Amino acid sequence: MPDKKVTIRATRYDPDKDEKPRLQVYEIPFYDESMVVLDALNYIKANVDGSLSYRWSCRMGICGSCGMMVNGTPKLTCNAFLRDYWPRPIVVQPLNNFPVIRDLVIDMDDFMHKLKSVQPWIIRKQEIPLGAGEHRQTNEQIDDFRQFSQCINCMLCYAACPVYGLNDEFLGPAATALARRYNLDSRDQGLKQRLPVLADPDGVWECSFVGECSVVCPKGVDPAKAIQQTKLDTTMRFVLPYGNRE
Amino acid sequence: MTEATSAHVPSPHNLAGLPSPRRGEGQGEGSKEYPWRMPAAWWTRNRHYFFYVVREFTAVPLALWLLWLLVEIKRGGDGPGRYAPHQSTAFVLFSFIVLLFALYHSYTFLSLTGVIIRLKAFDRPVPPRLITLAMFGLWAGASVVVGFVLIWFAR
Repeated sequence: MPDKKVTIRATRYDPDKDEKPRLQVYEIPFYDESMVVLDALNYIKANVDGSLSYRWSCRMGICGSCGMMVNGTPKLTCNAFLRDYWPRPIVVQPLNNFPVIRDLVIDMDDFMHKLKSVQPWIIRKQEIPLGAGEHRQTNEQIDDFRQFSQCINCMLCYAACPVYGLNDEFLGPAATALARRYNLDSRDQGLKQRLPVLADPDGVWECSFVGECSVVCPKGVDPAKAIQQTKLDTTMRFVLPYGNRE
Repeated sequence: MTEATSAHVPSPHNLAGLPSPRRGEGQGEGSKEYPWRMPAAWWTRNRHYFFYVVREFTAVPLALWLLWLLVEIKRGGDGPGRYAPHQSTAFVLFSFIVLLFALYHSYTFLSLTGVIIRLKAFDRPVPPRLITLAMFGLWAGASVVVGFVLIWFAR
């Protein structure tokens, strides 16, 4: 089907020229049923308009770079097939809830700051020497945190979260999910260091459980679950006798 | 450690020692990012958003009805001779609507308990569905007990 075409409406924004973002229409060949939205953008960049800016890297849903709004829904564009939208036009916009740097590129500094604030790495009170052997875990202990470790920091959950859209101080879904991933890890001892961030009024308590973060996650992580479980845990630590004992 | 660093008192979100870039200010001076503005009609853009707002809104008439209940209790304290319950058609209709809202709010809340509560029995996690069913069972049981107590005292 050499004549099959698909219409892409992509956001364009040049900070030096434009007052606000606008949509530009591209009609490109839809030559392969396996084409995804990222392929369409790459085709435009290579053959139609080399000035179109967007982020991408792995093309296989691993790196989390190519998240954009596709017909109003946060998606990894490498995982959004044209055939699911065709023959309707496909509107590709930068992720909601973030400022736009240029075209489809958002400023992710706020997310990176929040991610680092929860210290998403294993914290030990005292490191054991390498010669003492590995930290052993049972399958059950791994199952406790496994799903939260699948997060790829694609920020689709932030784009889907109206609470973050309304209040940029909110810690947000992915950062909380990753904090929970480490808090549930039997090797980690950093809970008390993460609690001031998580239990802050702009931490988990700002979430009113819309739940859309979990709906849009391309890796099956459930950040809403992480947030609500953290609420329960922090409450129990406050209410129960010896709740703060580790 | 420099003087500037030692004088810096981090806010909770600054625990990692990073500056706190507000959205749209991350690229430094001279940048001209287009800031995000939440549209007023954001909750109409998605079915989940709409039902979320409905769920949150149900708390408003519930709160009004409970305020009215406090007034009724105060009036009831004046003694049975001077107390006459509010029985207008409009109030009965309002109470019925509030009951529906309360049921919807309770349903949405209890449906999520399986997600929130982590329980283990015999070193295995209890299935979320079982937790949710147990919560609905407790809700039904509590409703029966409260209903029984109310009817018992009303006799």
